[in-house]
Amino acid sequence: MRRFRPHNVRARLTLWYVAILAAVLVIYAGSASAVLFFELRSQLDHRAVEDLETVEGFLSFGVDGNVLLRNDYHDHPYPATMQERLMEVWTPDGNLLYRNEVLGNRALDGPPKPREGADSYSNRAVRLADGTPVRLVSKRHLLDGRPVVIRVGFSEQPLWERFWQVAIGLILGLPLALGLAGMGGYVLAKHALGPVERMARRAREINADRLNARLDVENPNDELGHLASAFNDTLARLERSFEQLRRFTSDASHELRTPLTAIHSVGEVGLRGESSARHYREVIESMLEETARLTRLVESLLTISRADSGQIRLARTRIAVVPFVREVCSFVEVLADEKSQRLTIGGDSEIEFEADRAILRQVMINLLDNAIKYSPAGGAIFVRVSTVEQEVAIEVEDHGPGIGPAHRDRVFDRFYRVDEGRSREAGGAGLGLAIARWGAEAHRGRLELACPPVRGCIFRLVLPMVSADATMQNGANGQVHLSERAEAG
Amino acid sequence: MRILVVEDERKVAQALREGLEGESYSVCVAHSGEDGFFLANSENFDLVVLDLMLPGRGGMEVLSAMRKRGLRVPVLVLTAKDAVEDRVLGLDSGADDYLVKPFVFAELSARVRALLRRGKAESPVALGIEDLHMDLLTRRVRRGPRQLQLTSKEYEVLEYLLRHQGNVVSRDMLGRDVWNETARHATLDNVIDVHMVRIRRKVDEGFATKLVHTVRGVGFVITAEKS
Repeated sequence: MRRFRPHNVRARLTLWYVAILAAVLVIYAGSASAVLFFELRSQLDHRAVEDLETVEGFLSFGVDGNVLLRNDYHDHPYPATMQERLMEVWTPDGNLLYRNEVLGNRALDGPPKPREGADSYSNRAVRLADGTPVRLVSKRHLLDGRPVVIRVGFSEQPLWERFWQVAIGLILGLPLALGLAGMGGYVLAKHALGPVERMARRAREINADRLNARLDVENPNDELGHLASAFNDTLARLERSFEQLRRFTSDASHELRTPLTAIHSVGEVGLRGESSARHYREVIESMLEETARLTRLVESLLTISRADSGQIRLARTRIAVVPFVREVCSFVEVLADEKSQRLTIGGDSEIEFEADRAILRQVMINLLDNAIKYSPAGGAIFVRVSTVEQEVAIEVEDHGPGIGPAHRDRVFDRFYRVDEGRSREAGGAGLGLAIARWGAEAHRGRLELACPPVRGCIFRLVLPMVSADATMQNGANGQVHLSERAEAG
Repeated sequence: MRILVVEDERKVAQALREGLEGESYSVCVAHSGEDGFFLANSENFDLVVLDLMLPGRGGMEVLSAMRKRGLRVPVLVLTAKDAVEDRVLGLDSGADDYLVKPFVFAELSARVRALLRRGKAESPVALGIEDLHMDLLTRRVRRGPRQLQLTSKEYEVLEYLLRHQGNVVSRDMLGRDVWNETARHATLDNVIDVHMVRIRRKVDEGFATKLVHTVRGVGFVITAEKS
């Protein structure tokens, strides 16, 4: 059998509410009835005991050995108690001495039990022959020096009537109360969940074309406010990555179009009219050069897209920082040498850390290449290694023209060039620093740009010395997502 | 020397045929995996150049089928996929070497030569062209009477050029084989270019016959012939 399970939260909430309320009410009604019943019964017992005590004094033996009850203690002839009272007097050995008129010929529970009423008042429930339920109190008594058992009983009929009255009232009231509560609960749930419904409707309207829309936050401090804020944050991130993707696609196609245009136009113009073999050769060479540039660009894009999709895994090894920096510097030294620039390395030679050598090398090469490219001939470039607390900082300082405040935030963006024309001629596609920053962040480090007041700029690569995250990273496949890192940064 | 080229892209196949024929190989072209497998089975080749991205029967499949048949012919795999996994896959399944598209023909030609030469031991003690002489034991280089002062990197580059003399050496080849760089990047190209400028200056300055030549858009070549 399938369990009944309503589909919307509103109905489920109401159902739960009603079910719990029903359970509470049933328990309440049950205990209230029980309390009432026992209360009424103890009243009855009390009355019987009192009556029995009263009656004792008015009993006496008649001449025939039977017991007589004097009725003259009542103010008026037939009081209510007397009319209702059921009474018998027995000898302990089972001879009936007295039975009052109200009982008539109905027996009040036969001969006395062995020690009935011997110690104190003993009370019990019995049934008369006609089915009337009776509450019975017995007591042993010395009547004129002879022991007798006096029994006084009262019908339980009124007690039960009263009890059922209340119980039926409660039972009838229960569904009514539940119905009302259910309706109330439903309305309340609907009201409480209304904002959720509105949020859902609004969220449905937001699509890729309208990512700038946001949910309304009615009260930022309540639960729904938290939900809306969380959703808005997600939207903001989504919008940023969409924007990033859009810009990346448009920039990439622009970058690809440039060499393609060059190839096409060089070829096209070369084919115009007859020309010398030498000229054709030049045309083809020029086209090949552009193709080489295109290939390199595609490779950079591939690197970036693999980083974006988290396909690049860090292969961490222990690296001694200063020898590593020295090695990278010696690789690019020839470029600095060409421009008569001095490349100076300074810093603590003892530091070691764990990192992916190839990626870090690419980061350093990009930074140094940048510094060499933008420093004037004969300038000086400093590379400094230092430690601050648990971090290693590698600084690359050049004395070029520096980077204007307008560009500082964007130099790490993909395809961003401070000086459009010049940089492309210098061979960059504006991806070097973007890749460098990704490399730093892939190592849980960061790449910062500091601009001294005079001139030049300092790129500071900061990496955690003890890579506490190394095991964790490797545990999670060691995959690194460029976009996420970029977001974090 | 007979070479089978299995490549579905007709322009590339045509360029490979012309290029390899230009180096005096006899070339046979198949445009699909099925044709390639059939030809490799029925005729004798000294080398197979196999594209992995083929319509129908893929290059990988053709390769493993060939190896299952017991064909020992060396296979040079061409792949557009740049993933390391693919490379390993290629070599595991019996490829002898791989080349990632897009490649420079000079490099393909060098790989072909290396594969065909494989097994034939040759470890010369000296290399040379015209009056340029390189002693591999003492690591001394001289041009005519003049002793050349080369840095160790310059020496390695010159040695590489001399080993491939008469054939164009691309920047890719230099980057990978001399600098041991895993990825190609703009800085590497600049570094290579600077070294080439210096080598050229040291080798050719003051001599009538220029030996080191740039092939624009492709790479460098050391040859006595005038380009």
